[in-house]
Amino acid sequence: MARKTVLQALGIALGLGVLMACSLISPETSYAASHPEGLGAGKPICSECHTTDVAKGALKPYASFDHTPTFVKDHKFQANQDANTCATCHAPSFCVDCHGGKVPMKPATKLSNRPDRFAPHRGDYLTLHKIEGKMDPSACYTCHGRANNDKCRACHR
Amino acid sequence: MNRRTHVALLATLMTATAWGQEVSLYGTTMAQMWKQETPGFDKATYTPATQYLGIDATKLGSDRLSLHLFGWGKVDLSDSTNLDGTKSGGYLNYGYLQYRFDQANAELKAGRFTVNQTTGFEQVDGVSVRTDLRGGFSISAFGGKPVLFKTVDPRNQSDYEFQRDFIFGTRLAWRMGKVGEIGVSYLQDGTKAAKDLPIPSPVDYTRKQVGADILLAPTAAFDIRGRTVFDMASHLKVPGGPERSRIAEHDYTATVKLNDRFALSGNFAERNFFAYFAGTNLPSLFRQNDNDKFRGWGGSATWTATDGVQLVGDYRYMHRETFGDVNRVGGDIRWAFSEKTVLFGVSGHWVNASNTVFVDPAAPSRSLTHKEGRLWGMVTRGKFILSLDGILQRYNSNNPYLGGMRNVYETVASLGFQATSNFKVSGDISYGSTPLAKNETRGLLRAEYRFGMGSKGGR
Repeated sequence: MARKTVLQALGIALGLGVLMACSLISPETSYAASHPEGLGAGKPICSECHTTDVAKGALKPYASFDHTPTFVKDHKFQANQDANTCATCHAPSFCVDCHGGKVPMKPATKLSNRPDRFAPHRGDYLTLHKIEGKMDPSACYTCHGRANNDKCRACHR
Repeated sequence: MNRRTHVALLATLMTATAWGQEVSLYGTTMAQMWKQETPGFDKATYTPATQYLGIDATKLGSDRLSLHLFGWGKVDLSDSTNLDGTKSGGYLNYGYLQYRFDQANAELKAGRFTVNQTTGFEQVDGVSVRTDLRGGFSISAFGGKPVLFKTVDPRNQSDYEFQRDFIFGTRLAWRMGKVGEIGVSYLQDGTKAAKDLPIPSPVDYTRKQVGADILLAPTAAFDIRGRTVFDMASHLKVPGGPERSRIAEHDYTATVKLNDRFALSGNFAERNFFAYFAGTNLPSLFRQNDNDKFRGWGGSATWTATDGVQLVGDYRYMHRETFGDVNRVGGDIRWAFSEKTVLFGVSGHWVNASNTVFVDPAAPSRSLTHKEGRLWGMVTRGKFILSLDGILQRYNSNNPYLGGMRNVYETVASLGFQATSNFKVSGDISYGSTPLAKNETRGLLRAEYRFGMGSKGGR
């Protein structure tokens, strides 16, 4: 009997919790899953078309998503906060070109027919990493610290 | 997760595509060939064939449900490119079902996916959920089994799997229109401690991190973005050892757009290695000196002309406490002509590492200081695409750490044929000279294709 009462109380508490959580959810309609118009080749400057308003959902000026050289280099901040804004144009496979977790070749080899794209480790990076890795191993760690490090282990055992 | 479970999960996900009203399948098939002759090693010929394959299936019974899969497989047709001598390999990069709600930008994912909304960038076999809340708040959370990779020493693999049994994280954020967003997040990787093993392990693979991130964008002309990460795990304190900072990382970037054509950006980053590298599965590489610290700052100026020309000048100062200082300065010019069918770029950088220690105390500048130049072009004419790319690193003098070489370079030429909008073949040939291979020629054939109706795959 006591057990039944406890279960009933738990059920009521859970139900109230769910109702409360639902009441906290924003009533706003979700924004489009895909960009409504096709985009041309190259890196888009969002603010060229979206001149005055803020991006729906992200609530930031479209200019903060302009694909400038700085944006491309530091896009982790936007990806961290607004991954579903990225997803309106980019399929997840686009990210996997570099952020695959485990990939069979360096991104610069996979994209060797696309010199216009930013791809890590162009040229003989094996030599250069002796310099850059010594100076700032935290830059390597982003991709190779906990994953994708089979090649590292050949020497760094 | 064991192999049978993986196969069963993958088979279930694959069959789910049958219900998709919009199924897009895309892939890249690549065949490479190169010979290698390294002093002290046997001659080798490598001919790996690699297949990338992705599927995006949307409207699986409901407009809101979709499936996303991507992975690769590889076979060596001659000598092995794998470190363990095997001639095949493969990996599922992601495979998950996603449900997008019509309200509150809410979504639910289940399967293998990548998470980056907290302090880390994690691959997880599990569940993730996010939604917007009233008042500008949003919340996201995930949990599951971390995708594990081999450790340095296979004997420690059981310790590694024991410790990293579960991963979960959450992020709460608040955003305000035309102001920006702030967020706090928590990540815990592993619930069992190294000391709980039957034979306590000295290596801790677990992590507990708290992060704070910010983006202020009050106007289209200015934004500042960045994050600070704290290491919250309890670590064994060495008696008499140094006090260690809990701050793993500061990383902030500010951008000012002076007008439509000219923008300035600046970045500051600082990382304490003990806290930042906590939980690495490659401690020999990333725990070189636990008390070490990196600090770097720099900036860039970008000018975009009306005729498709973009000029970038950049500078970066890097300081590592046990190593010294490096300054990197240079510039990059890009042209895009006639509807971007002709692209051209040239860049040059000078890296001055004269104020360094440990590499070669007798002549430190000789070890690291170099100049780098890159020249590339890409032309599309009808269905043909031709690209050329050359990179040269020129060191100040014959460098004993680079096999006595002064110039290290690589050139790549590629010719592609876009047979249809969904099918393209290309062939690359590259030639280079590196300390590992004095004269190296590589060949690569690539076929990229897409079937179906999806619009985003690969972009």
